[in-house]
Order: sequence, then C-alpha cells, then structure tokens
Amino acid sequence: MDSASPELSQLVPRELLSELLAIARSGGASFADAYAEHAIVTGASLDEGRLKTASYSVLLGVGVRAIRGEQTGYAYADGFAPEAMREAARVASRIARESPSAATGRDGTPIAFRVADAPAPFELRDPATLALDEEAKVALLRRADETARAHDPRVREVSASFGTSARAFLVANTDGVWAEDRTHLSRLVVSALALEGDERQESFATAGGCVEASYYTSERTPESVALEAAAGAVLLLAAREPEAGSYPVVVCNGWGGVMVHECFGHSMEGDTIRKRTSIRATQQGQQVAAHGVTIVDSGLVPWSRGSFRVDDEGTAAQRTVLVQDGVLVGYLWDRLNGMLTGNAPTGNGRRTSYRDYPLCRMTNTWIEPGPHSSKALITDVKRGLYCKRLGGGSVNPADGNFSFQVTEGWMIEDGKLTYPVRNATLTGNGNDAMLRIDGVASDLAIDGTTGSCGKDGQWKPVGVGQPTVRFSGITVGGTAL
Amino acid sequence: MSGRHAAPEELRSLCEQAVERARAHGAAEADACSEGSRAFTVRVHGGQVDTLKQSGLRGLGVRAMVSGAVGFASGTDLSPQGVDDLARRAVALARFATPDVANGVPTPAETGNLFDAPLDLFDPAALELEPEHKIDMALELERIARGADPRVTRTDGASVSSAGGAFAMANSQGVARAWEGTSVSAWVVALADDRDGRQQSAGEGMSVRHLADLAPLEQMARQAAARAVRRVGARSVPSARVPVVMHPDIAGAWLSEMIEAWSGEALLKQSSWLTGRLGESIASPLVTVVDDATMPRRLGSSPYDGEGYVARRNVLVEQGRLAMFLYDHYHARRVNGASTGNGLRGWSHTPGIGTHNLYLEAGRETPEAILAKVDRGFYYDDQGSFGFNPVTGDYSFQAQGYWIEHGELAHPVDGVTVAGNSLDMLMGIAAVGNDLVFKSSVAAPTLLISEMTVSGS
Repeated sequence: MDSASPELSQLVPRELLSELLAIARSGGASFADAYAEHAIVTGASLDEGRLKTASYSVLLGVGVRAIRGEQTGYAYADGFAPEAMREAARVASRIARESPSAATGRDGTPIAFRVADAPAPFELRDPATLALDEEAKVALLRRADETARAHDPRVREVSASFGTSARAFLVANTDGVWAEDRTHLSRLVVSALALEGDERQESFATAGGCVEASYYTSERTPESVALEAAAGAVLLLAAREPEAGSYPVVVCNGWGGVMVHECFGHSMEGDTIRKRTSIRATQQGQQVAAHGVTIVDSGLVPWSRGSFRVDDEGTAAQRTVLVQDGVLVGYLWDRLNGMLTGNAPTGNGRRTSYRDYPLCRMTNTWIEPGPHSSKALITDVKRGLYCKRLGGGSVNPADGNFSFQVTEGWMIEDGKLTYPVRNATLTGNGNDAMLRIDGVASDLAIDGTTGSCGKDGQWKPVGVGQPTVRFSGITVGGTAL
Repeated sequence: MSGRHAAPEELRSLCEQAVERARAHGAAEADACSEGSRAFTVRVHGGQVDTLKQSGLRGLGVRAMVSGAVGFASGTDLSPQGVDDLARRAVALARFATPDVANGVPTPAETGNLFDAPLDLFDPAALELEPEHKIDMALELERIARGADPRVTRTDGASVSSAGGAFAMANSQGVARAWEGTSVSAWVVALADDRDGRQQSAGEGMSVRHLADLAPLEQMARQAAARAVRRVGARSVPSARVPVVMHPDIAGAWLSEMIEAWSGEALLKQSSWLTGRLGESIASPLVTVVDDATMPRRLGSSPYDGEGYVARRNVLVEQGRLAMFLYDHYHARRVNGASTGNGLRGWSHTPGIGTHNLYLEAGRETPEAILAKVDRGFYYDDQGSFGFNPVTGDYSFQAQGYWIEHGELAHPVDGVTVAGNSLDMLMGIAAVGNDLVFKSSVAAPTLLISEMTVSGS
C-alpha cells in the first residue's frame, strides 16, 4: 500500500500561499503564516494472538495563522481546495477585527520567499514507515507475540502493535520564510499480562523513533522488546508495595529523563516565560539546579522522535543550553513568544497538525553526563529507591507540583538492590527538584523511541534523556508505612 | 462564526455511500462512521484576547470485513473519489487481519428500533453565540477571578468555546443513524501569590450542551480564585493512614480511571481487577454506579451508540453489588451475549468499549456533614495525571488538599501522595455526598473513604 506523501509545493503553489498570507494579514495582522500538511498514519495490532485490525488514515489540509501584537487568530481547512483555504485565511484575519483599535493592513505585495536551507540533522535512507509493508509489520508482531508467550507460562495475554506516521509539511510566512520537511516515525509497542493465583500484573516495552527499517532487525528486534515486556510483567508479580515517605531516589538513564522534561523543561517554554506564569521567568543567571547539572534541548538528536530539520514554523532545529553547571542560561522560544520578548526563535515552535496553531514545545531534552559511575550512585545509599522503569509523568507549571509513575522500582538497602517495588508514585515540586540532584553518572542515554508530550490538548513526539541521576530526597507514594 | 457543521442526513448518506463502495470492492460486511463539527474557541490572558481559533472538521472511517477479517481506513477527503479510495483501502487491509467469527455488524433487530425520547442535545443558542460574546465571557471570567482577592494578581488564562457537531453511521445490514448536538465550555485558572516567589493555581470550568446550563461565570471565577487562595502556604504532612474526603472532581477522576475494569474486553483478557466478581459485593452498599446514554441535555448522551444500538441506561454497580460488564458488538459476540450499547467510536477509529454519562449516584449527606465526621484526615481536591494501574486497580496519585482536624480544614497540603487499592477504597466508602454535578460526561459526589495512605515528609 502506497505510504509516501506527495510534494506539497505542487498541491499548494507559491502564488496561492502568498495570496493566503495577504488575506490573513488584511485585517491588520503584523504577521501571518500558512502551514500545509499531508500525513499518513497506519496501524496494525495483534491482540489475543489475532491481528484484529489493520488501519490506514490520511490527513491533509492547511492552517492559517494571523498575529497582531500578542493575539493570534487561527483557522484551518481540511483538504487543499483553494476556496476553503481562502476562507480559513479570512477567518484567521478576523483576530485583528475582533480586537479593539486594529491597525490598517499592509498592501498585497507578493512575498519574496527564501527557502530555509537548514541541513538535515541525520540522513534517513530507508525509513521503516515506507519500507515495511503490511506483511512485514504483521511478521514483526507475530515474532513479538510468540517470544512474549514463550518466555514464561505465567504470561497470560500479549498485545503488540506497530504504528507509523509519515508526515510532509510546508510552512510559509510573511517574513518570507519558506520551509518544507518530512518526518517518518514508527513505533512497536508490546504489552504482556502475567497471572499467578490472584496476582495480575502488566508491563510494556517499546521501540521506534525516526528510524530505518533495518532498526527492527538489528538494533531493536521484536524479540528483545517482547522479552522486556514479558519479563517486566512476571517480575512485578513478586514485587512489593513501596514504603511511603521521603528518601533518596536514583532514577535510571534514558527514559528517566522524563523527570527533567516535566520538572524543569515545561517551565522554560517561552509562552510561560513571556506571560510570567512560570517561576523561571525571573531566574535568568540564577542557580536553579545543583552544581554539575547541565540541561540541554536539541532537535538534532539522530533517530529520535523529537528531531526534525525545521520546526513547524520553519525555524531550523538547534541545540539550546538551558542550564549550565546549575545556572539558568537560556529559554526555549517559538516565533510568537520570541518576537514579543526580543528573542530569536530556537526551533521550538511545534504543532500536532495543520488543525493546531504552534506552541512553544520541547524537542529532545536531557541532562548532560557527569563524573560518577551509575553503580556508585546506588552503593552510597543506605535506604532508597532505584527507579528502573518509569511510566508517565505530569507537572502543573503554574504551581510546580509534579508526579511520576514508577512502573518498576527496586528498594535500595545498604547500597544494594534488594527487592522489586510496584505502584510507586514520585511527587514533589519542580521549583526545587533539580536542586536536589546530588549525583550525576556518566551513562547518558537519550530515549527517542516513544515519548509524547501533551500541552493545551496538543500531543507531540519528544525525546527525553539523562545519565543515571540521584536525588537526595523525593516523596515516594505507596501503601506501606 | 462562519458556516455551520454538516447536516446529519448528509453524513448518513455519506456513510451509506461508503458502505456501498466497500461492498462493491469485495467486503462481505461493512460499516462507516462520519463526524462533522465546527467549533470556535476564545482564549484570553491578561485582560486581552490571546487566541481565536475556528475548527471545522469532517471525517469518515470505513470498516470492511472480508472472510471475517477487519480492515479500516479513515480520512478527510470526502469527495466521491476520496470515499471510494477509503473503501478500497479498508477492503485491501482486511486481507492482512485474522478471520474471527465474532466480527460483523449488527442487524436492525439487534440494535433496536428508533430512539424516540427527546434528548434535547441541540441548543440553537449555543450555535448562535457570537465570537464577540465569547470574548466578553472569557474576559469576564478572568476579570472576576482577578478581582476576587488581592493575592490573585494573574491568571493562567480563561477560555470559552462553543461547538456544533453531527454524527452518523451506517452498516451493510441496513442500520443507519444520524444525530447532532451542541456544546459550550468555559474554563478559568486563577493564580495566587505564595511565599518565596511561589504561586498556587486552581482551575474551574465545565462543558455542557445548552448555554443556559453553564454555571454563572461569577460563580466559576470566584470558586477558582477562592481555591487558589486557600492553597497559599500549603505544606507536606507526615505519612499516615487516615480517612480521606474526596472532592467531587477527584471522585469523578477516580471513576474515569476505573472504567476500564468494567470493559467486557478486559474481562475476556482477564486484565480487569473485577475478573470473576460478577454478582459479588465489590463496594460499600452506599455505592451505585450508572452509565446512562438517555439523560436529556447531558454531554455524554446520544440516541445511539457508534454501532447504531439504541441508547440505554446501564447499572454497573447496584448498592455495592457488581451488576454487569460493558460490551460492544464484537466483544458481546465473543461471549455469546448482547451489546450493552457501549460501542463508542470516532470517525478515525474502529469501535471500542466506552461510556456515555458515567456517574456515581448521589447520597443524602451534605459535603459539610461529611467533613464534620472526620476527626483527623485529608481533604483531597487536586491531583497529578498519572497514578492508576488499570490491571490491578492500584491507586497512587500526587495530591493537593487540606489537612482535617476535628471536622474542619486546618491547613493546605501539597507534596504528598494518596494511595490505596480501588477494591479496598470502594468497600471503604463510608459516606456519599448529595452534591452530584455534571461538569463533563463523568461525575461523582463528595466521597468519604475510611482509610488511605497519605505519603509525605
């Protein structure tokens, strides 16, 4: 089944885009952009040993944004019918008319577009999204299913799914920016349910990213993903409830970086800085993390879901240092919030689809490696929790309260991992969490396989990372006292 | 707002056309689902408009069954060629799926006849609400919140949106349905200054079908401001096992988390913590849980489910006894049973088991009377997003609220988690409030749970 997107510049020619931008600005807007997208999403899921459904979805359309001062008007049209696009541009232009004392619009002089010439952060020769046909996907799923079931008789049920998203987009704005990019994401998810007596536990594992087809045969095979899920579920059968209280917590490398994403990254996004709803707005140059902690956001990480050549506003992906040795040195900016505060955009203007206006979002966010070995961080702990696998996390950026689900934890006693722990929830306040780091290991890993970040109802793929990191004290929720 | 959402009849004939195309391409059975909606959303911040957004969606999904195997395709190109393309792709994809005798679409005899009670889901006033009016409403929400207390100097914004939408489905057995509805939402988040540059936040809002059912803006804004201010000075407490009073928002969120356990699919896979409990007592006798698609004017109501089954009221827990599980057409056939009318779907997905208006029935006691029963405990009124294990029912959330001393709120609390197992929690419900309010399609009143673990300093 064909799964490549067409050339958007042929479906939405320059003259038409130029016209849409002129209409969008006609009500007095100072800036406008138009975003055309064609996305193909496929899915196959093997559940209870049956391939229940194979699915295909195609989304295409154009979104038009008009900005006047701090105000945004947005509308979109499904499909590429010129009249529907013009209508969307007219609706977006109303932001100026709806607002008091609109300035007069500019004339309709055609825009001289300059094509963004950002280099690709990595080369994708044979993306899994295009190379793997339905038959190949089903074969991957069958291998995963068989491996998970064969791992242990206690594995009762297995569910494996393979999803792809091949997305082409084009963005043009009244500053003359013209940029096109394509992203190719794929993901294999395996979950296993283990039963023993009255105990029932589930665990899952994932693989994927912006990867080549060969990734699933060489780097991360369906067998390895299935084994991780099955072993995880079986292990949890024997796990204990965590002890409630506040104590040292060591968080694994890779996906453990979801903590820096939630606890710190969100409060560095330009919208919350401009509106001063983030505590970080006034902390430039101040100590916001422990000495030795350096935090980076970069859209350039090879093979990650959070990477791209240009963001959804046409700005080239870049590396931005947020914290250098504990000191806040930079924020993340999209075009709107950068413009309003006199900052250059940092390649963090992202949107879920043409149906959404861009928001300031993270890309791949991580803590840089430190001097310690991961073992040493555990050996020093008399009593604490090692978080080997984390699930989801969330933060309220306004008050800083965060929480994380620890799907597989290990109790640390006298420097040794003694028994597995389930259903632990970590909580605290993001305002001081990074200051509580008291050890950073050298084993940096960036997980770009599975993360999706939600903000204002928009979901966007991201990468997170860190080396093994220790926090001096975090509140661990549990039922044991 | 320019333009109106698609007419239900138009979407229904689109579905019929898609089913016909799927049959022509070789499907033995097929169904299609289409949605068309138009929404206009206003967000304000700092006394001025932040964003205006118009959404206008139309989409179609086609499910084709070939030799008992299912293929599915969805898209937004609704031209005759686009519809034919989706039907062709759905049929082609079925070739890769596993044949299953339980696959199929319901007959008119199975789905029931027309639903003819008035549901009153459509409010012309909601549709006619002008953008200017929505801007004024959002600005007013923000202004009242900021004026409510000197410590509320900022908000995290206010928003008002209205939408109209139509839904249609058709299948190859001749079931064809269509209906339409409206919605109006309002939301505001108040921020209160706290010590050391910190701030506290609290949001208040609701979604309803009729403009007239929206709570007064003043009430929502004042509630948000009051909750934010009450949180100033929040601190952790030592870990303890204590009685917990759940605010209706928290009780409703717990109910939403638990619903997967009532799914017939989870039961089949033994992944529900209610497996093997049908007919048994799983909750305190004070607890009755209902899912009802037939409530007039409610957000989760609809005359039919996504597979065309006539709307009904299902009692999931009756005075503490587990009365039933929920099924869509496929999973009902797997157990030789009948669908409970819980096959929910959007245009871009195949049907799955879901709920309509899910609620825990109101009790007799006022929230104040419930609080007064607690000598020492935790009043729980805000939480983080992750902390529920759908397989075990284990519950462990980041929590905010107030410490209770002698039946009164003593001081605000944050930096804690609240944990327990849902079965223990359900059995431990010692009081049910009379304050059931629908702010969305899931609702619960204030609950007193006799014991949970609060983890803190």
